[in-house]
Amino acid sequence: MDPIYLDHAASSPLRPEVRAAMREVEERAPGNPSSPHRFGREARARLEEARRRVAGALGVEPGAVVFVGGGTESDNLAILGWSRSVRRSGRRPRLLHSAIEHSAVAAAARQVEAEDGQVEIFPVASDGSVQLDQALDRLGMDAAETGPLEGRNGLVSCLWVSHETGLILPIREVVEWAGARGFQVHVDGVQGVGRLDAAPILASVDLFSLSARKLAGPPRMGILVARAGVDLQPILFGGGQERGLRPGTEDVAGAVGTAVAVEAAVTRRDEEWARLTALRESLELRLREGIPDLVIHGSQGERAPHILNVGIPGVPLDLLPGALDLEGVAVSAGSACQSGTTGPSPVLTALYGGDHARHTAPLRISLGWNTRASEVEEAGSVIIRVVEGVRRAFGAPL
Amino acid sequence: MAANRILVAMSGGVDSSVTAALLVKAGLEVVGVTMKTFCYQDTPAHSRTCCGLDGILDARRVADTLGIPHYVFDVEKEFTRDVIDDFVAEYARGRTPNPCVRCNANTKFGDLLRRGRALGCDGIATGHYVRSFRVDDGRAGLLRGLDRAKDQSYFLWGLPPELLPLLHFPLGALTKPEVREQARQLELVTAEKPESQEICFVPTGDYRDLLRKRLTPRHPALEPGPIRHVDGHLVGEHNGYAGFTVGQRKGLGGGFAEPHYVIRVEPATRTVVVGPQEALNSSRVRVNDLNWFHGPPEPGEELRVQLRHRAPDVPARVDAVDASDLQLTLATPQLAVTPGQSCAVFRGDELVGGGRILAA
Repeated sequence: MDPIYLDHAASSPLRPEVRAAMREVEERAPGNPSSPHRFGREARARLEEARRRVAGALGVEPGAVVFVGGGTESDNLAILGWSRSVRRSGRRPRLLHSAIEHSAVAAAARQVEAEDGQVEIFPVASDGSVQLDQALDRLGMDAAETGPLEGRNGLVSCLWVSHETGLILPIREVVEWAGARGFQVHVDGVQGVGRLDAAPILASVDLFSLSARKLAGPPRMGILVARAGVDLQPILFGGGQERGLRPGTEDVAGAVGTAVAVEAAVTRRDEEWARLTALRESLELRLREGIPDLVIHGSQGERAPHILNVGIPGVPLDLLPGALDLEGVAVSAGSACQSGTTGPSPVLTALYGGDHARHTAPLRISLGWNTRASEVEEAGSVIIRVVEGVRRAFGAPL
Repeated sequence: MAANRILVAMSGGVDSSVTAALLVKAGLEVVGVTMKTFCYQDTPAHSRTCCGLDGILDARRVADTLGIPHYVFDVEKEFTRDVIDDFVAEYARGRTPNPCVRCNANTKFGDLLRRGRALGCDGIATGHYVRSFRVDDGRAGLLRGLDRAKDQSYFLWGLPPELLPLLHFPLGALTKPEVREQARQLELVTAEKPESQEICFVPTGDYRDLLRKRLTPRHPALEPGPIRHVDGHLVGEHNGYAGFTVGQRKGLGGGFAEPHYVIRVEPATRTVVVGPQEALNSSRVRVNDLNWFHGPPEPGEELRVQLRHRAPDVPARVDAVDASDLQLTLATPQLAVTPGQSCAVFRGDELVGGGRILAA
């Protein structure tokens, strides 16, 4: 059996057209976009064309698109760039974020706190609904207060689609809530673009992060969409590239590859939604039959179609990905950014409580553009067989 | 599932790296595993101990070099229960534990075996310097490593006997210099890594820090108490009997005409009893928490016992033995036979079992 790759939420392999476009840029436009000579001009033209293509696909102004070095950097630039800008104007940053953010947001928020900002976390129920008022109370503001915050020193950062469970969070509701209270909004949209329609969200939020790699684009490329008029400070220092927000020689091939990947993801969104939903549902059904006590994480809410996170009671949390790897199926226990750390997932703990997270081994199966139905079917059989084997090993005496 | 898939416990040290390499060379399907045994957050970032995070990363790099998969298993809960809690409780009882024995008997082999089976492995290998053997009637057992300076059979008496047929120790017939040479030839990143000496979960080297953290605040083991001479007179005061082990000279204060040693610890009165070297001699030993690979020895049987790591084994006669208690007479009196330490029992070079020393 050929190995089966079902970890697209961690890294989605390059689409061939992305690779071809990048190679073409490396060959034809190797210059530095800041250089005045013809090579520089060619590179600059390619870079700006890539920016226009991304903006076109996302339905935003080209000037709002900042190319950065990945999804984590995009989240960091949004949050720290915003908080330092608030701080610079002499006010105290006040940040709210959800309890199930990616570590790129959660850790950046801790940095905001370390820089004397105020941070509160709002809970997310297992159906994806958010309870912002609680966190607002802790910020020391009356939940009934509807007037704008003085001088716009508040930001709500909210995940769009959970990288662990695929759960979709109600961004429209967050935007309305924030608008009524004068908060700005940042959305980590890394797992949402290409699966859901991003245009209405992009039209209503101030800052929006995405990662090229999760869209079968180049690694180390990300985008921060920053609406005109949002004040940001850079978090790296050097040249004036990317409106001064991202110093350093631009990765032109990366930007072009990102544009091709974003366009492909957005263009094929509807057909991919249907295809991946069918694949996930068949896998879910098969696993439910084979493992009757299986828990489907995120199933109480609406989910994006490319992630299936299941919980398997009664086996150690860290064993299944290795056991499946040895049988040729590549999945993860949760966020790849948390690997190396073991123990229960903070995301599942926030959604389901610590007891559930401690006793139910999570398995994140994520599908992508090159996932075939036959692979999903095969993977389902392997997972059922491996879970039986693992349970036998742990149920029996030595 | 593949046949002859074998799990190798890789600490990130040179021994387990070469173990994995030798098995790959032998054509087996090798799966490398590092066990995360305790929380690293309290330890210095560049901990040199085998079980530190450095170890996990080194093991991963070696596995990559060898082209084998490598996984990290979190056995912190099991390790804390079976090894660290026991370690603390033993010191609180005035005894001197062997945590490596507990780890081998429980974590390293027991918990590893379950996980190995879950991964479809039919054997487990480690980098211990000890030899395993199997004979045609199905019996399996352990022999001392050929490199006596590195032999680690002392730490393995507690293994569940049913595990023996599944164990592989490819280093048992090698010397440490040979192992390092293999590592260099294979260009393994761990080739020149120094030996780990400390107890892995006590990276500072001072186990009393751990006791202070894990015992109740005013636990008697950490409270001052009398130091008395074996003849009964009061010699001084100590600041917690858990800091003392039989045979120790340090920390007793001076003022003796001849060197004095800890002879025993009496937790009931928090007393540390000291005396001259001859008071450390004992020729009778009682051993509890027994484990036998092929059943207990016979009363009257002459065996060899090892009472400390790196000590030579000595002849001993079995005076009495039942399910929980072994009484031995040593052919020659031994110094500092210490309650809590292991008594590993050998017939010639074969490790046949052992227990924990109760009293001498």
